[in-house]
Amino acid sequence: MAKVLEPKTGKPEFHTVGRRIPKLDALEKVQGKAAYIHDLKVPRMLYGKILWSEHAHARIRKIDTSRAEKLPGVKAVITGYNTPEIKTGFFKDNPVLKKDKVRQFRDEVAAVAAESEAIAEEAVRLIDVEYEPLPAVFDPVEAMAEGAPLIHEDKDSNILKLPWKLVCGDMDQGRSQADFIVEESYSMPWVTHCCMGSSGCMAEFHANGNLTVHSPTQIRYLAQRDFGDAMKALGLKGKRVQVVNTAIGGAFGSKLDTYPFEFITILLAYYTGRPVKLVFSREEEFFATPSRQKVDARISQGCKKDGHLTFREVEMVLDNGAYTSWGATTPSVMMMPISSLYKVPNIYYEAKCVYTNNIYATAMRGYGNPQATFAIESQIDTLAEQVGIDPLQFRMINVNTPGEITPQGFQIGSCGLKECLESVRESLDWDNKKGKQDGRGVGLGSLIHVGGGARIYKSDGCGTIIKLDDFAKVTVMSGATDMGQGSDTVIAQIVAEELGVEVDDVIVVMGNTDMETWDVGAHASRTTFVAGNSALFAARKAKEQILDLAAPLLQAAKEDLSIKEGNVFSRSNPEVSMQLARVLRALHFKTGGTQIVASHFYDPPTQMLDREMKGNFSVAYTYGVHGAEVEVDKETGHVEILKYVIAMDVGRAINTMLVEGQLEGGAAMGIGYSLMEELKADQGKILNPNFLDYKILTFPDMPDITSIIIETEDQFGPFGAKGIGEPPLVGSAPAIANAIYDATGKRVRSLPIIPEKLVAQEDE
Amino acid sequence: MIQVKISFQLNGDAVTAEVPDHTTLLEMLREEFELLGVKEGCGHGECGSCTVLVDQKSVNSCLMLAAYVNGRTVQTIEGLAGAQGRLDPLQEAFVKHGAVQCGFCTPGMIMSAKALLAENPNPSRDEIRWGMAGNLCRCTGYVKIVDAVESVCKGGCSCGEGS
Amino acid sequence: MKGFTYHEPNSIGDAVNLLNDNGARASLIAGGTDLVIKMKQGKSEPEHVISLQSIPGINEIKYSGEELRIGSMVTHRAIEQSKIIRDKFSLLADAVDNLGSVQVRNLATIGGNICNGAPSADTVGPLMALDAVLLFEGPEGERSIPITEFFHGPGKTAQAANEILKEIVIHDLPPGSCSRYIKYTRRKAMDLPLLGIALVLVSDGAEDVCKEARIGLTLAAPTPIRATKTEEYVAGKPLRSSAMWDEAGNIAVNESSPRTSFRTTSAYRKKIIQALLPRAAFEAIRRLSEQQRKG
Ligand SMILES: Cc1cc2nc3c(=O)[nH]c(=O)nc-3n(C[C@H](O)[C@H](O)[C@H](O)COP(=O)(O)OP(=O)(O)OC[C@H]3O[C@@H](n4cnc5c(N)ncnc54)[C@H](O)[C@@H]3O)c2cc1C
Ligand code: FES
Ligand code: FES
Repeated sequence: MAKVLEPKTGKPEFHTVGRRIPKLDALEKVQGKAAYIHDLKVPRMLYGKILWSEHAHARIRKIDTSRAEKLPGVKAVITGYNTPEIKTGFFKDNPVLKKDKVRQFRDEVAAVAAESEAIAEEAVRLIDVEYEPLPAVFDPVEAMAEGAPLIHEDKDSNILKLPWKLVCGDMDQGRSQADFIVEESYSMPWVTHCCMGSSGCMAEFHANGNLTVHSPTQIRYLAQRDFGDAMKALGLKGKRVQVVNTAIGGAFGSKLDTYPFEFITILLAYYTGRPVKLVFSREEEFFATPSRQKVDARISQGCKKDGHLTFREVEMVLDNGAYTSWGATTPSVMMMPISSLYKVPNIYYEAKCVYTNNIYATAMRGYGNPQATFAIESQIDTLAEQVGIDPLQFRMINVNTPGEITPQGFQIGSCGLKECLESVRESLDWDNKKGKQDGRGVGLGSLIHVGGGARIYKSDGCGTIIKLDDFAKVTVMSGATDMGQGSDTVIAQIVAEELGVEVDDVIVVMGNTDMETWDVGAHASRTTFVAGNSALFAARKAKEQILDLAAPLLQAAKEDLSIKEGNVFSRSNPEVSMQLARVLRALHFKTGGTQIVASHFYDPPTQMLDREMKGNFSVAYTYGVHGAEVEVDKETGHVEILKYVIAMDVGRAINTMLVEGQLEGGAAMGIGYSLMEELKADQGKILNPNFLDYKILTFPDMPDITSIIIETEDQFGPFGAKGIGEPPLVGSAPAIANAIYDATGKRVRSLPIIPEKLVAQEDE
Repeated sequence: MIQVKISFQLNGDAVTAEVPDHTTLLEMLREEFELLGVKEGCGHGECGSCTVLVDQKSVNSCLMLAAYVNGRTVQTIEGLAGAQGRLDPLQEAFVKHGAVQCGFCTPGMIMSAKALLAENPNPSRDEIRWGMAGNLCRCTGYVKIVDAVESVCKGGCSCGEGS
Repeated sequence: MKGFTYHEPNSIGDAVNLLNDNGARASLIAGGTDLVIKMKQGKSEPEHVISLQSIPGINEIKYSGEELRIGSMVTHRAIEQSKIIRDKFSLLADAVDNLGSVQVRNLATIGGNICNGAPSADTVGPLMALDAVLLFEGPEGERSIPITEFFHGPGKTAQAANEILKEIVIHDLPPGSCSRYIKYTRRKAMDLPLLGIALVLVSDGAEDVCKEARIGLTLAAPTPIRATKTEEYVAGKPLRSSAMWDEAGNIAVNESSPRTSFRTTSAYRKKIIQALLPRAAFEAIRRLSEQQRKG
């Protein structure tokens, strides 16, 4: 259980905030009653299935669907040739059904809808495709070379027209001021989300031409917009799209974009006139869901003799794969730790994204930050060693502080990095354990992440509508999305706190674009902050309305009234009180009566990054430190994690148990990223599309986690809270790599740190 | 198509089904009996989300042919709660300890824990980890699941009930 | 999965007949943990699937004092829970302790593990070190094959298409014996071995000399092997000498020819043999000491 370090101001009296309230839908889930996309079935529903490419790069000579069409039970067979062209992705470079050529093994070549899954599978096997293989390229550096095969022939280069660059301060000065400089290369592999519930959706056209898509998406409203574009292609301009969330069996960024399979499902539903559901098998989930991008980085940092950092320079090449989803935009987040983790006056960052014939990349928890932080924080240890300063002390010298404006223009409000470092020092018994190189070692990795939304889209907003019924039951309709992290519960707690009612009296309705107001999506660790503020302000408006109207009923001044435990009462004379439900009924059941409905759309006061990639794109920043103690088997290279601690400045824990859940779950993903996860490919084909060969941690692999929750009470957060969805995996890899170095004297600069890398070095 | 007729005890009731020979237990439970709490996370025995009890032993229903359960007893998550929906102590513990996030792994986890506690009513944290190693969870990092299972045995609740 | 006809014969004779009648179109199913996956992947498409679950007499563990007989339908879970195996043939208990999950072990059988012919099968190394004999039933009656002669290549075995494995027969180990199986994996649980080392040692008691060593290695070569050169070297040497065991590790490395695959490299597998053979030996010896202490 977590240790909570509270702000020095002392904890305000809260009724529900801070409590360990079980997740609202847990009761359903423990009974197996939650309905995921896999469980959805409606009358006359058909099953969709996709035929994937058999080549990494090839021209499509001919697609013969006649055998599939003749199979009884098949209702539609579609290809790029018999459907209108729809393109998806950040650059709209991804045709949902490939025509002319395929660019990777997971390309969608054709699809069928049939009466059963088995028939659909059989039908896909009956589609004959003639390919003419083309020379392919799998290495981004080779892909950049003159004369490399072009992935997209309409473009003159494989390098994306998306040059990422950030320059702050004066690099020449930064270099010349440095007494010590370290320059190294790091590489990070493809890894994938591994949601236990695979991807899928169900599309259904209504008699009036409107479309409903049932989906576990994290971005209902952006998906609604994208699907709307597809409607135009079908000649259904002006028709309405509704997106409804099913229960989400894990997301972690995988459901942050719209993908060809969703459009294919819509097309199949359109052409058959029947509801169509398409769900990925586990194998498809592994090879067809875009992954976290592979990154190669060169990094150098310099500091003075006293340890003060003078510059940081990072150059990266990202393997974009054949199409562009969010993966190509992760440098916008990588810039954050590069520019703003510790006080570094001079910064240079450049990243290239390169098309190859590999799988493509999307968002994944941390959004580039784990890769950048692995390089930065591993190297900080090397630099500290060169200067001769204890690495933790080195970090203290450069620590970020509240009120700071970083070179990229971030306005740091609350900042508990120092407290996090101190807690990890104590928890790991750092001063006694560090520096022995006796097979056991300790290490840490600090992190910064957005904690108050992130303006990466025109709006970073979220809407909430609140209504109270005659029994003082509260319904909150929120644009937010719950993927298991507990947004439903946090929002209920915030509203209950503000309205002075019990959490049990609050129902949170989410997941239906027809019923709530817009939200940009469940990303950037923003939901507690942005949707939380939205709910808080909506609740405040509802409360204002109630008190306004209750004042005459109770014959008290509005300013003197408050609501607590379901009663409206006078603060100066608590004898004067009335049940909230009675107040609400009195307001309702009279001539010209009224009911309480309030809404709020909260868009954080932030800036889009400007042309130089500068600006304050989040209202709050979350800081944290991961610490690990490891033991390394000298002969086999096996790494055992003896202790794992995360200290996180969360602003305020609205629900301590859910915060711990994020820290523990993030740590598991982070440890996996550090030690064993990797999507392996041979000439573009994934070799390990299953849980036996793609290794996520199992129960025995996972140590107990020491969670240290630090509350710095952010001035803009709901009740002081900041977002913490992603940070729990950001600092893992450097913490573990640094601990391994402390144990063995071996520095591994590529992930995952498999035992082979530790013993191979011994041989050399 | 060739059909087998299968008679068995399902969550306490005697039932019969006729399904094609190659139907898996998972398919039969989900499709014939609409027991959608039996989840398919991988279909290859690697994730445990399809765990059910056959003659009180935990098995991967995705790997078992339906025909195998002829004459046997099968329990799924739907058969765990008692009269008037009274939850099993394990279900309560999962709720209370925050062992549920996305919930996809949860039914399989609980069935696996049920089998574990039936054999070993007082497992240590490590015994819980090894006993449930066949159930993957991507959300929780497992810690709270271990807490939940541990609380049931520590609490001395009726964890051996019905087995 | 392709459709098939399911059979559940009540005697081994009926099963053999069914198998014989349908030839290559039939497949036996025990626990199904290998076969069902192969059928789902389309790697195996039998028209007849013959279940062995209702055949009497082949799912028991019997120990006579002279030999241990394990029915082919005995599950890994039953082996795990067998006291006699844990006490007397502990390397076999080691093999199943961390084989798959509890759910898999509840279904999967030792017969399936052997007949599937996978180079990674966990029970095979220990059975090689135990000099187990496989007893098959076919149209012509019984046939026994020493397990050391059973594996011809990955997925290729000496089993004829119309034969059924009935029993695995293991001779009792001489007094002063001890054993250990180490499965080296990347992940702690739910993993196939990157390398398996199984070892039976026989001590002469008084002099603390190793009278006999039997070493089974899995994934050290295309098929499971006995490290015969290492065994020869160890025989007659002081049991508790680390230098001796380090040298034994070197010899074992030299007589193995592991594969490089996407799972790991040949060099790393060799490294593991070298590091873990001595450890397996000393863990076995520690068991011997414990037994001796208990009397
Ligand atoms: C998730 C998972 C994890 C696993 N982990 C491991 C592991 O760690 N170590 C390991 O070794 N294995 C592992 N396996 C593989 C598998 O569980 C074992 O090989 C198991 O012992 C196979 O037994 P079965 O009874 O399920 O075989 P089946 O699938 O029923 O049969 C396998 C093959 O053997 C044949 N066969 C079966 N019985 C007989 C018989 N009596 N006579 C003749 N032929 C027969 C069948 O026709 C079939 O070809 C794992 C499997 C899964 C799904
Ligand atoms: S679905 Fe059966 S184990 Fe994954
Ligand atoms: S709660 Fe999501 S997989 Fe376990």
